[in-house]
Amino acid sequence: MTGKLVFLWEFSLLLSAVALLAISALLLARVARDRLERRREDIRLRLLPSMLRGQPAEVERSRLFRRVAADLTVELAELVRGNDREGFIAAATQAGAGKELARRLRSRASQDRLIAAEALAMFPQYEGTVSKVALGDKNADVRLGAALALAHEGRAPPVGELVRRLGIGSTERSLLVVSLMRDLARSDPHAVAALLYDFEIPDAAKLAATDALADSAAVDHAPLIAWMAEASEEEGDLRPRILRALGKVGHPSAHEAILAGLDSESWPVRTTAAEAAGRAALVTAVPRLSELLDDGQWWVRFRAGEALMRLGSAGRAALRKAASDGRPAARAAATTIMAEQGAT
Amino acid sequence: MIASPHWAQDWMIGAAETIALVVIVTGLLQVGFYVVQLGYAAFALSNRPPVPRGATLWRRYSGEAPPITVLAPAFNEELTVVESVRSLLALEYPDFEILLINDGSKDGTLDRLVAAFGLTRVERFVDDALSHARIRAFYANPAQPRLLVIDKDNGGKADALNAGINACRTSLFCAIDADSILEPDALLRVVRPFIDDPDLTIAAGGTIRIANGCTIDSGRVVDIRLPRNFLALVQIMEYLRAFLMARLALGKMQVLTVISGAFGLFNRQRVVEVGGYSHATVGEDMELVVKLHRHMRDQKKPYRIEFIAEPVCWTECPEDLAVLGRQRSRWQRGALECFAKHRAMCLNPRYGRIGMIGFGQILLVDVIGPLVEVLGYLLVPLLYGLGLLALPWLLAFLSVTVTFGIFVSVATLILEEIQLRRFPRAGAIPILAAIAVIENFGYRQLSNVWRIQGWWQFLRKQQGWGTMTRKGFATAPTG
Repeated sequence: MTGKLVFLWEFSLLLSAVALLAISALLLARVARDRLERRREDIRLRLLPSMLRGQPAEVERSRLFRRVAADLTVELAELVRGNDREGFIAAATQAGAGKELARRLRSRASQDRLIAAEALAMFPQYEGTVSKVALGDKNADVRLGAALALAHEGRAPPVGELVRRLGIGSTERSLLVVSLMRDLARSDPHAVAALLYDFEIPDAAKLAATDALADSAAVDHAPLIAWMAEASEEEGDLRPRILRALGKVGHPSAHEAILAGLDSESWPVRTTAAEAAGRAALVTAVPRLSELLDDGQWWVRFRAGEALMRLGSAGRAALRKAASDGRPAARAAATTIMAEQGAT
Repeated sequence: MIASPHWAQDWMIGAAETIALVVIVTGLLQVGFYVVQLGYAAFALSNRPPVPRGATLWRRYSGEAPPITVLAPAFNEELTVVESVRSLLALEYPDFEILLINDGSKDGTLDRLVAAFGLTRVERFVDDALSHARIRAFYANPAQPRLLVIDKDNGGKADALNAGINACRTSLFCAIDADSILEPDALLRVVRPFIDDPDLTIAAGGTIRIANGCTIDSGRVVDIRLPRNFLALVQIMEYLRAFLMARLALGKMQVLTVISGAFGLFNRQRVVEVGGYSHATVGEDMELVVKLHRHMRDQKKPYRIEFIAEPVCWTECPEDLAVLGRQRSRWQRGALECFAKHRAMCLNPRYGRIGMIGFGQILLVDVIGPLVEVLGYLLVPLLYGLGLLALPWLLAFLSVTVTFGIFVSVATLILEEIQLRRFPRAGAIPILAAIAVIENFGYRQLSNVWRIQGWWQFLRKQQGWGTMTRKGFATAPTG
C-alpha cells in the first residue's frame, strides 16, 4: 500500500517537474528568439532596399541570411508587380532566397511548405521543383496552393493532369478550384474547355471550369452553353450553380434552360433561375417571374422580384400589377421590393 | 484508503470509500479527457497551422470568398455602439453587410446610430421563416451601403438574431456580440472552412481572446498586455484552455457543441431549417450548434462543424466576483438547459460521435462535474473529520488531480507560444504559468459554487438576459 502511495506522490512530482521544465524552456526559447529577431532585423534592413530596387545585395554566407532573404521574398512578393518583378526575383535568387524556399518545400510544417511553394512559383528556374515536390505534397492545402501559384504565373502543368493530381471534383472540393480554373483559362482556355467533353472528369470539376469559362471571352460560348444546358436538365446539387453560370454568360442559347429552371420543383433551382433570368435580361420570363412572386419560398419571391426590377418597363409593370391586385404574398413582395429600390 | 475507527460500521466505510472514489475518478476522467483533447489540439495545429499574415489570407481567399452578413444584436449599448459599428465597417473582407439589430434598447442606442451614420428609414423585404418580436423599422444610408440597422421590440438576444437571419440575404451569416472587438481579418479567417469544403461545412467558430489589459485604438487591439486584475488573469488562462485546447480538439474530432455567441459563422439555410435560435434558453449559442448536429444526423446528411485556432474576436471579461459569478451560473444554466432538451442524444449511438463523445463530455464536465466536485468539498472533509478517510491517500490523489490540471494548462501555453505567440512580452509566460497553479486554490472551488448556483437556477427555470456590467475598453491616448 505504501508503495502505491509513494507512486502517486512521485507521479505528481514528475508532472510538476515536467511543467516547470517546459515553462523554463519556453522562456529560454523566447529570450533566444528575441535575440535572433534583433539580428534578423539588422539583416532585413540591409537587404530590403536592394531587393525592392532589384539590385544585388551584399550577400553573407550564413543560413540566417538566406532565411531572412526567403522571408523577405514571401513578404514582398505580394507587393512587387509588373516590370519590377524580374529584378526582384534576380535579387532574391542572388541572396539565396530560392535555395532556402526550395529547402522549405520539405519542411515538417505544412504552412511553411505552402508559403514556400507559393513564393517559389515566381522563380522560373524552380518551376520543375514546385511541380514535382509541392504538387505531390501529402497535404491537400499545399497541393492546391502550389497549383494556384503556378497557374497564376502561367507555369502550371496541363489542366487534365492537374485535375487528376489534385483530385478536383472528387477529394478536392475547395471553391479555390474556380480561381485555379480561371487562371488556367487565361493561359489556355481551350484546354479548360476540353475538360467538359472528358468523360472521366467529375461534374464538379467541369462546373468549376464552366464558372471560369463563363468569365472568359476567349472561347466560343455556344458549345459551353450546350453542355451547361444539357447538364442543367438534371435535378441535382449542381443545377443551381449551372443556372447561375448561365445567367452570368447571358447568351441567348441559355434562355431555354433558364426558363426550364423557373419551373423546377426544387426551390433552390427556381431561386437561381430567377436570379439568372434577371441577369440575362430574359424578358420572356416576366410572366413566370410574376407567378413566382407568390411562391411558397421567400428566396424565390425575393429573387423573382429582384429580377423583375432588372427587366425594365415590362418587369416593373408586372411588379406594379402584383402590388395592386396580386395574392397577399405576391402583393407584399412586390410592394416592399419596389419601395426598397425606390420604384414606387 | 480507509482508516476505520472502532465505531464505524462496514456500510459507513463502504459509503465513504465510494464517495471518495467517485470524486477522484470524476476528476481523473476529466483530466484524462483534457489530455486527449491536448493531443488532438496539437495535431490540429500542426496539420493546419494558422495563417500568419492577413495579406496572405486576402491573396489566397478573397477571390472566392462568399458574401457574409454580420449580425450584431445590441441592447442598451449607447456608449459603445457607434465605435463598434465603425470597427465592423472596417473589416477586411471583399463582400459583407452589417445588420445591427437594436433589440428594443431603452437608452439612446438607435439615436446615436442614426446621428453618427446619417441613417434614414428604409424598406426591406425580409423572410418570415423565423419568429421574432415585431420589427419597428429599418434604417440605412446609401452612402454606407454595408450597414442596415433593424429596430425591433425587445425580445432577447436569440430573438434579435432571428430577426437578423430573416433579413439576411447571403448564404452565410456571422453572429457576433455588438460589444466584441473583431480582428480585421476575422471573416477571412473563419470563412476558410466554407471555402475549403463548401458543400459540407455548416458552421465555424474561432478563438475568442480577452481584451482586458490590452490597448484598444479605433476599435482595434493594438497592444496586447496582461491585465492586473487577478480574475481577468485567471479567465485568460481559462479561455486559452477552452479555445486553444478544448474547442480546437472537439472541432478536430467533429464533436464541437459550442460556437461562442461572440463570434460564429453559419450556413443560413441550415439554421433556418432548425428554427433559428431558441428563445427559451440562456445558452442559445450552444443550443443552436447542438440543434444543427441533431438535424443533420436525423437527416443522415454529411456535414462539418469546424473550429479555427486563430484569434478572431476580443471580448471584455468581468473583473469583479459578482458579475463573474452571474456570468458563470448563466453559462452553467445554459449548458444544462441544452443538455436536458437534447438528452435523447446523450450516449445514443444513433447520433454517432456527437452523442457518444460530445454529449459524454457535456455530461462529464458540465452536468456531473460541478456536482461531484462540490460534493467532494463537503463530504470528504466531513468523512475525514469522522475518521473515515485516510489523509495521506486523500492528499496524494488530490495532488495528482491538481498537478495534472497544471500540466494541461502549461501544455496549452506551449501550444499558444509555438503556434500563435500572441503575447509579445516574455513576462506573460511565467505570470500565466503561476496563475495556472494559483487558480487551483480558491478560484476553482468558487467557480464550482457558481456552477452549482447555475444548477439551482436551472432547476427553478429562471430566464432572462442577465445583467452584464461592462466597464468599457481602455483606449489608446489621443493627441
